[in-house]
Amino acid sequence: MIRVHRLSKSYGSFRAVQDVSFEIERGEVVGFLGPNGAGKSTTMKVLCGYLVADAGEVEVAGAKLPEQGPLARARVGYLPESTPLYRAMRVDRFLDFAARAKGLGRSERRAALARAVAAADLLGYLDRRIDQLSKGYRQRVGLAQALLADPDVLVLDEPTSGLDPNEVVRIRELIRELGRTKTVLLSTHVLGEVSELCPRVLILSGGRLVADGAPHALAAARTSALFVRFTASLGSARGSFDALEGAFDVSDVPVTNGAALRLRTDDPDGLATRVLDLVRERGLELVELRHEAPTLEQVFAAHTGGRDGRFDAVEAGGPV
Amino acid sequence: MTAVAKVSAVARRELGAAIDAPSAWVAAGAFAIALQGLFFFAGYPIGDLRFPGLWEGRVASLQVLFAWLPPLFAVLAPAFTMGSWAEERRAGTEELLLTWPIASWQVVLGKFLASWLLLMTAAVVGALPATLVVASLGPLDWGVAASGALGAALLGAGCVAVGLVVSAAAREQLVAFLVAALLLTGMWSIALFLRVVPGELAEWFYLVSPQAHFLDSAARGVFDTADLVYYGALVALALLVNWRMVEARRRG
Repeated sequence: MIRVHRLSKSYGSFRAVQDVSFEIERGEVVGFLGPNGAGKSTTMKVLCGYLVADAGEVEVAGAKLPEQGPLARARVGYLPESTPLYRAMRVDRFLDFAARAKGLGRSERRAALARAVAAADLLGYLDRRIDQLSKGYRQRVGLAQALLADPDVLVLDEPTSGLDPNEVVRIRELIRELGRTKTVLLSTHVLGEVSELCPRVLILSGGRLVADGAPHALAAARTSALFVRFTASLGSARGSFDALEGAFDVSDVPVTNGAALRLRTDDPDGLATRVLDLVRERGLELVELRHEAPTLEQVFAAHTGGRDGRFDAVEAGGPV
Repeated sequence: MTAVAKVSAVARRELGAAIDAPSAWVAAGAFAIALQGLFFFAGYPIGDLRFPGLWEGRVASLQVLFAWLPPLFAVLAPAFTMGSWAEERRAGTEELLLTWPIASWQVVLGKFLASWLLLMTAAVVGALPATLVVASLGPLDWGVAASGALGAALLGAGCVAVGLVVSAAAREQLVAFLVAALLLTGMWSIALFLRVVPGELAEWFYLVSPQAHFLDSAARGVFDTADLVYYGALVALALLVNWRMVEARRRG
């Protein structure tokens, strides 16, 4: 549905996107992550036909960009960052204008408006001026205009940015509903949103694609840890954990009763077996043995030049 | 849906936005009031074409009114076009609009037609009192009046097209207004310098002066095809530049 091959785009001497390639199939909901200035919005603007790439091939819903711009734009619904709208217009007049400008004829326009208004739950707000709506409802108006022509592809640039928690929940529900029938590319800084909505993520950093996969697969590829808790202090057995094969960093975790360790490892299953063997051998009383997989935040940080994605007490939830 | 319908959708939105904007009403009102004062009392005391006001001259003619249209349009047209692109860019709606399946030229044409219609509506409303008074006082030459109205429409189209180009280049409405007004006033004033420049240069000045193509022909009841070509070329060139500027934005 979306095919991007070696896309590059510069603004003057600044290379916003460099040699980015990915494909998104029909019906996928894909999270688009990256720090500010990573090239997400630029890539999205190219996919929507607003910007023309300097190099590379872009195909959206079977139409090549920029050669078949109007055709591609007819099949993409786009919600730009910060939702620019004609704020002095009434909601119904704005949507009617958008439908006409998108080329919908009289009969299909009526049906499209009804469908978009219902999907965005705007029925009671049609006679309101857009600048009198809350940010959440302005976001809904933005989504409604994106849905008007019943597009195959939805490109949503930070759709929940700046919304209050209730509005965030409602917009996410709407996106989840839309994801059942459409291909959705969703840019956001809220990683929990991606975990909740997207079975696949693309991570951009410095204009390059640095990760592409399911959040759990990307997390599994990173260093994880085992958390082990005992009823009493370990005494002389503590040193044996440092010597375990596969544990490259063993740290004490402060707990109220007994003792606890965190063992960093690339092989959590193998290390767990060795920990259990050691527990039996030394006659220790084990309370808890838990695998701590990296969070999406840690995966994101590791790929985008933030923290290294390994665990420490705070990141993994603090003292037990 | 046809291209005409898309152009019409853009034009209707622009008209709606102008009607909602106080600045358009203020500009149109100021134009109408200024035109009455100049026509009835001040006359036209600038350059080679000098006419007394209606009460002083007592001639049943709209010459004074037509003579004032070029400098007044130089201010009124930018008032209508200043937000056409500058406001879209400031508000970010240009990005939204250009990701819809509407061609850039359709947007450009829709904006042009809306501003032109607004200018012509303001001009008709402003000229109507003077026209009715003259017609009631003496034998108004309706042929000259019609020719002048047609010439004014062409002049207005040229002013609007130039104003849109400036708006497309500006980020702020105020900047768009000031630059376009300055540019159009400059183009109008070219005709004032015709007699102080050498002969050959004067001919070139005459050729590029919008007011010469209006006041020396259509405003006097002589509708010259060359004037139609002049304004047609001016509008086409300005709209082409406007379209290229919008397309250039897609290139970043």
